Amino acid sequence: MERKKTQIDDVDRGIYDIKNEFTYKYKTDKGLTPEIIMEISREKNEPQWMTDFRLKSLEIYNSKPIPTWGVDLSELDMDNIITYIRPNSKMQHSWDDVPDDIKNTFELLGLPQAERESLAGVGAQYDSEVVYHNIRKELVDQGIVYTDMETALVKYEDIVKEYFMKLVPPSDHKFAALHGAVWSGGSFVYVPEGVDVDIPLQSYFRLNAPGAGQFEHTLIIVEKGARLHFIEGCSAPKYKVNNLHAGCVELFVKENASLRYSTIENWSKNMYNLNTKRAVVDKNGTIEWISGSFGSKVSMLYPMSILRGEGARSEFTGISFASTGQHLDTGTKVVHAAPYTTSTVNSKSISKDGGYAFYRGLLKVAPDAHHCKASISCESLMLDNKSKSDTLPIIQLGNDEIDVGHEAKIGRISDEAIFYLMSRGISEEEAKAMIVRGFVEPITKELPLEYAVELNNLINIELEGTIG
Amino acid sequence: MENKLLSINNLKVNIEDKEILKGLNLEINKGEIHIIMGPNGGGKSTLAYSLMGHPQYKIIDGEIVLEGKSINELTADKRAKNGIFLSFQYPEEIPGVTVEEFLRTAKTSVSGEVQKIMAFKKLLKEKMIQLEMKEEYAARYLNLGFSGGEKKKNEILQMSILEPKLAILDETDSGLDVDAIRIVADGVNKFIDESRAILVITHYNKLLEYIKPDYVHILIDGKIIKTGGIELAEEIDKNGYENIKAKFSN
Amino acid sequence: MITWRRIGLKDYVFPDIKEYTKEYLKNINNIPVDVKLNKITECANNAENHKFDISEVPALGKEFTSFVESSYNSGISIYLPQNIKLKSPIRLEFNMDDKNPTVVDHNIIIAEPNSEVTIVIDYNSDNKTKTFHNGFTKVYAKEDSIVNIVKIQRINDHSYNFDSNIALVKERAIVNWISIELGSSISGSNYSSILQDMASESNLHSIYLGDGTRKMDLGYTMIHKGPKSLSTIETKGVLKDKSKKIFRGDLNFKRGARHSKGSEEEYVILLDPTVKSDSIPALLCDEDDVEGDHAVSAGKIDESKLFYLMSRGLSEKESKKLIVEASFKPIIEKIPYEDLQKVISHEVERRLING
Repeated sequence: MERKKTQIDDVDRGIYDIKNEFTYKYKTDKGLTPEIIMEISREKNEPQWMTDFRLKSLEIYNSKPIPTWGVDLSELDMDNIITYIRPNSKMQHSWDDVPDDIKNTFELLGLPQAERESLAGVGAQYDSEVVYHNIRKELVDQGIVYTDMETALVKYEDIVKEYFMKLVPPSDHKFAALHGAVWSGGSFVYVPEGVDVDIPLQSYFRLNAPGAGQFEHTLIIVEKGARLHFIEGCSAPKYKVNNLHAGCVELFVKENASLRYSTIENWSKNMYNLNTKRAVVDKNGTIEWISGSFGSKVSMLYPMSILRGEGARSEFTGISFASTGQHLDTGTKVVHAAPYTTSTVNSKSISKDGGYAFYRGLLKVAPDAHHCKASISCESLMLDNKSKSDTLPIIQLGNDEIDVGHEAKIGRISDEAIFYLMSRGISEEEAKAMIVRGFVEPITKELPLEYAVELNNLINIELEGTIG
Repeated sequence: MENKLLSINNLKVNIEDKEILKGLNLEINKGEIHIIMGPNGGGKSTLAYSLMGHPQYKIIDGEIVLEGKSINELTADKRAKNGIFLSFQYPEEIPGVTVEEFLRTAKTSVSGEVQKIMAFKKLLKEKMIQLEMKEEYAARYLNLGFSGGEKKKNEILQMSILEPKLAILDETDSGLDVDAIRIVADGVNKFIDESRAILVITHYNKLLEYIKPDYVHILIDGKIIKTGGIELAEEIDKNGYENIKAKFSN
Repeated sequence: MITWRRIGLKDYVFPDIKEYTKEYLKNINNIPVDVKLNKITECANNAENHKFDISEVPALGKEFTSFVESSYNSGISIYLPQNIKLKSPIRLEFNMDDKNPTVVDHNIIIAEPNSEVTIVIDYNSDNKTKTFHNGFTKVYAKEDSIVNIVKIQRINDHSYNFDSNIALVKERAIVNWISIELGSSISGSNYSSILQDMASESNLHSIYLGDGTRKMDLGYTMIHKGPKSLSTIETKGVLKDKSKKIFRGDLNFKRGARHSKGSEEEYVILLDPTVKSDSIPALLCDEDDVEGDHAVSAGKIDESKLFYLMSRGLSEKESKKLIVEASFKPIIEKIPYEDLQKVISHEVERRLING
């Protein structure tokens, strides 16, 4: 039988691994000081309140200890991370104006093509700054705003000031404080009342520089009765030094509005992905998270839904795939803060080749949030016994008028299932891949076709290493 | 002989160090229908799994020869490519994989020809109509939430799509109502021709009202102790296995 | 001083431990002579004679277990020789009152290969004395032995209860825990089994009832080390008034525990809007070739069942009581004494109907 047995480090991650030469227009020194923060703020011509906000955040950052639970962050040396790198390009509205090396990277990642075929708008960030942003004219005509955060801070300062880091305050945890101090780039989306955006918007975050951090801020406001699907993609080539991603996503879903937030994260395996995502949902609104975590060395990622309006709804569908050298500590938090709210969590994890997949979840029902419904399902698939898979759901219930169910399963691919498929002429590798694809099918089916294909490709890349 | 499809010579098979098949011999020619009957625990399912190459069923001695070549060392997928098919007594449920996707992959693999999506859809639909299966089953996850009867029909559907040379039906008739047995038997009768053979494993007679076997074998305690025609099945139906067993013990 | 926020202990200091003067060993008839059954206060160094390593399980924590080991005033040491199977259970009853307000029991159970024993311990008290119980029970179940431990906690609502239980389970041995948690104002109870070898097995069945302002912390751990080891955690509870419960169940599959199976289930009925129910069912896995699952369900009492019973003329309270009892019954029936089964049913009824 032909076997492909290679170390995962040698697996060809193809387009994701293409490195460009590290060039930049401006970068800060390594480490973090008030001077560096003020420099970033000055570079960006920010209003004073934002400079103050950054400095305040830095203070909080310095006052908080590194989290000691969950994952090991001892190798992450903030003094060695470059927090701000302005690429050799201004933000453009046409791909033709983006420098060739950067444009080629995004071409290979398929972004311009996806924009032509299936997206209503695209933002592309390269290191610390957004290099491309564009939105279809008909959306602009409906009053939709989709731009980079820097532009938003100038053009929509009042809105930004009202919402920026209100949902995830810098005091939340150490890396939220870090984000508040050094944030750069990201996307701003505003969907006016009643507007239904039926084609997705996508922002893509690419970190090319070695030893750097990316701290993009995504702020989305979906007004009453409006609807949006936002897709976030991220990747980076692999370097020997550690990179850090501490982005922040704040989503405001107003009455009767609905937002679907999809992420396919494929950071390189030298990345610390310490990202904070949070949504607050008003009366009868809906937030749907689709989350695929494949990359990074260490991830701590727990998208949170706060259901604060009666009848608000959240749905989380997540898959994480941990392979050699990866510790993915992911999950979701749901807070039922109002009556008649419902939530569904469907999480799947795969671990192989020594990878460590950890599901950490919180379900909290406030005392006055009666008539809530919540269901959680966690399934873990282990592909070998070098790997590790843990599930830790915390369920806190504060009243009796609720209906809560939780289920979790852990295990391996059944030998009988493999034999059954093989008895139909399918090779062992393909049988296993088929079962793994079937396992994650509930997630792929939620994604637009191109992204489902990308997700399946990522699974195939990961499986090619050692299955057989 | 070019007509010879399968020979099993003195086959001994262990499961976890316990000998289940104790020197079994069987010859099957193209165009024939064979029935294997026997009490529970006699080794019927072991024979089926051993022919298909289940890794837990270890061949200790003897040989399985398909069209002149030993298949002892082949894994299940290679055996399928060589034309063996097993209809499972308890088909596995595979979440997330649709019947259509699965069968197209399998057909591609077995036939070595890429199956075009539209053409395959048409073929699948035809076969499903023959088996009185609802079209929506093509989009359902493989065996997931299927009733016992639906699973068995799905096995026969796979057989008719993959067109093996030797089909082994392991208790395909058990748990089926009269209508389902008729449909399954119909599928089997449509399948059999001069180039193929069928080995039916069963422990009762219902299927035999619809399928006319060429040979009936009695498998007890790991060996075929008697071979005859349909009259042997009738005798067992009347008298059970005890009489035959008594005749052959000691 | 102990601070344990989850159940509202802050800078807590253990009370002075008095001698426990009542007879707590209830039936010691029919015990074969070669079974060594002693009160732990009457035989020195029992624990030393049978060192077995259970240090990897923290139970309620070192503060609690070390205290028992140094300050015990009661408990038994039992040594079962090979092949001895005790037909009738060994029964202990602690009845605390103003003269005997503290029980610190230290129990050591050594079951040699192929032996079998059932031990039933009933902790109760009078209605008014503020009593204190802190116990530590250690079970060493050797090859093919069966040890059943039944614990009933029905101490009054002014008292504190702490209980740690650990079993080391060898090849093909089975340790069954039954825990009935009905009383105390603060109760911390912990059961852990280390499934050490091939086909080691442990099952835990528990019921709990929270009423008034009781705070309960229930911690159950199954550590699978041996291949083909088996474990079950089945917990059924009901919470009313302002009671609070934290349930933590860990199924921990260590590398090498191939073909092991573990399942964990908590089912809780919430009767009042003022209750608090936390559940943390953890599944930890270093071995791929295992089957582990856990399930938690929580919610109000089944409305359609309630309606059905009420339509037959039962009051709401009676109907609720009936539904809760039906849920508890299979576990209560595992207790080998009818009188205790009745006492428990009465206690459940009293606490459900009153208030």
